[in-house]
Amino acid sequence: MQLGDELVKEQIFFRKELRERVYWFIQLRWVAAGAALVGSWLVYYQWRTLPITALNRIIFFVIIYNIVFHLIWRRVEASKHRQVRFYTIFAHTQIICDFIALYLLIYYTGSIYSPLHTFLIFHIILAGILLSPLSCYLYCLSVLAVLGGLMALQAFKIFPLQPAVFQSPLWFYRLEFPEILAPFAIFVVALFITAFLVTSLKLGLRTKGRELLRVSKELDAGNAKLTALYKMVTEIGNCSELQTLMDAATQNAAQIMGVKACSIKLLDDQREKLMFASTYGLSENYVKAKEGIEVAQSPINRKIIEGSLSAIGKIDEKDYFQYPEDIRKEGIASMICLPLAVEKMVLGVFCVYSTESYYLSDDDTKFFSLMADLTALAIENLKRDLDKSWFLKKAAHQLRSPLNTVVSMLNLIRNLHHGPLTEKQVKTLNRSVKRLQILGDVVSDLLTLDLKRSDLTKTVLHPVTPEEILKRLMGPYRILAAEKKVDVAFDIEGPLPRILADEQLVDELFTNLISNGVKYTPPGGTVRVMLARDNKNWIRFEVRDTGIGIPGNDIPHLFTEFFRSANAKALVEEGTGLGLVVVKEILDRLKGTISVKSTPGAGSIFTCRLPPIQNMSTANKFPERKPCD
Amino acid sequence: MSTGKNILVIDDDRDLVETLRIVLESKNYKVRAAYDGKEGFSRIEEKLPDLIILDVMMTTDTEGFDLAFKLQNIPEFREVPILMLTSFPKTMAEEGPDRFQHILGEGWPVSIFMEKPVDPDKLLTTIEDILAEESPA
Repeated sequence: MQLGDELVKEQIFFRKELRERVYWFIQLRWVAAGAALVGSWLVYYQWRTLPITALNRIIFFVIIYNIVFHLIWRRVEASKHRQVRFYTIFAHTQIICDFIALYLLIYYTGSIYSPLHTFLIFHIILAGILLSPLSCYLYCLSVLAVLGGLMALQAFKIFPLQPAVFQSPLWFYRLEFPEILAPFAIFVVALFITAFLVTSLKLGLRTKGRELLRVSKELDAGNAKLTALYKMVTEIGNCSELQTLMDAATQNAAQIMGVKACSIKLLDDQREKLMFASTYGLSENYVKAKEGIEVAQSPINRKIIEGSLSAIGKIDEKDYFQYPEDIRKEGIASMICLPLAVEKMVLGVFCVYSTESYYLSDDDTKFFSLMADLTALAIENLKRDLDKSWFLKKAAHQLRSPLNTVVSMLNLIRNLHHGPLTEKQVKTLNRSVKRLQILGDVVSDLLTLDLKRSDLTKTVLHPVTPEEILKRLMGPYRILAAEKKVDVAFDIEGPLPRILADEQLVDELFTNLISNGVKYTPPGGTVRVMLARDNKNWIRFEVRDTGIGIPGNDIPHLFTEFFRSANAKALVEEGTGLGLVVVKEILDRLKGTISVKSTPGAGSIFTCRLPPIQNMSTANKFPERKPCD
Repeated sequence: MSTGKNILVIDDDRDLVETLRIVLESKNYKVRAAYDGKEGFSRIEEKLPDLIILDVMMTTDTEGFDLAFKLQNIPEFREVPILMLTSFPKTMAEEGPDRFQHILGEGWPVSIFMEKPVDPDKLLTTIEDILAEESPA
């Protein structure tokens, strides 16, 4: 549970506490009334001067109003109408009633000489806990007023002075001023000190609580920002095109930072100009009006190119910008620029634009720096990947082109365009063309293998239904096998658990194994493809053929690049030896396993096992495939 | 039928151009050659061919496509059928380079793709089919 939740609950807890204490107050009163009743009779046996009837009447009065409180409580609890204001008023009412009862008891047990006035402190403490400091002090004052008033009235003989409890009846007490004021004053001071202590303590706790709540809110905000940053980085990491990556970055940045607009400008080759590569929230006029920003004429951008970690510009600092008027027209009041850099190499500038002045705090700037660094890294990585793919494609083309031309020229000769041929010449030509075609296949496969390898790491896995993928392959392979006069059977034992994978990868896996099975089985043979669940709930995919089989010595080398068994080469000349490499790499990625059993001349069994998705939380851990392109 | 039809071959591989010339002339087509997009365009301007055989990758990656789109935008040249030769698997070539993805559709200017290496017989049959389609017009 987050810290924030804890503290919001604490706030609710304060209110809940009030509610509970108010109820506890009522319950305590039963005990107090009972004890008072018993106590008063016990005292009466010793001191017959005790006005027992009056006391009993007061206690009875307390019991009655406590019953009323109890009924009110019941009714409110049932209606679920729980407002803090109500409980506060309820608490006040109870305290006032108790005070009245207590004052009466005090009067009848000796006024200032009564042992009961100590109980007033209890109510002051309760007031301090339940109510505001002001209320608490007001109650102190009320005690001062009432007790003082009572004393005055007794001194002026308006009310008779009652005999004090636990004092000898022979001792006739008189209210002698000013001597009598001393114990009274001390008592009242003690009351105020108690009020002060309780309210200070409560205030301190409340302040601490609020401070913690504020801190937790900041933590929550920070957490939310980091989650948003994680999402942003995942999104741009999945992009396979530079423009979409940058557009995603600017859009996310503007939204996360809560600003009007964001832009990415990249340095041109001469490193003298910054061209707008992507913008979000800026009007077309702003971007198109210029041919880019000249570093030499824009101090804010120059600072960044020269290595500053950040640069903040307010609109009134006109000299800071190359086109201040455009900025003003756009409604921008301030902007902050950060470098897009990888290992000190500055690629460009990342800017956010705000309609308010100095919108971003230091923490915001640090966070934005993080965002800029991650974006720069993503851009570099993508460029590298694109360069690599471009290189591979170019290399493949350079290899294939002359190859294709040679084959075309040989075909020309084969088709007798250059005159008649002897049988031996035809044979040699045919072999040459064949070998060249295989060479072409190897080049193609090498290219695809490498592209596949980089694809493998990038692909985001999600829940996939393997039986659907296999079903799609059934038709085409039945036809293919029929052409080769090989019998193929598909056996799907459902229902099957889903796996964490990717449709293309699973398709490739199944295809490679099934096509191998068909390829290396001579006409008249059978291939059996099975998809089932094993006893550990894993998916089992098996291809069983009655083909040429694999010699025992070759099995360890099966998954090595370019490896082909001698008997395989003899049966089928075409083959690059890369198919099983792809199978192994796909299985590694999907955390699956493969095992091979084979008898040369009789057939082979290839068995793959793939783990099911453990539970939904594992499936949800992986971000959904965002169609970035 | 095929007598006298004018074919322009645009490909930077001279050996291949020669090979194609031999195959086509054996069926009495008149063959002209160009070795890059610019030269090819000049040839088209000089005399409109009945068919253009165009390579995809020449000096630049998309030179073939660039020329094809250029021709498509010029009314006089739009009608000329284009046979595109590609080293890549057909599917990759048909998808076209990313730059052109968003213009794909009916406006695709290429009549047909063929993979290299070229099978002379298949090439000739394909050309016959294309020209037969165009003849009525």
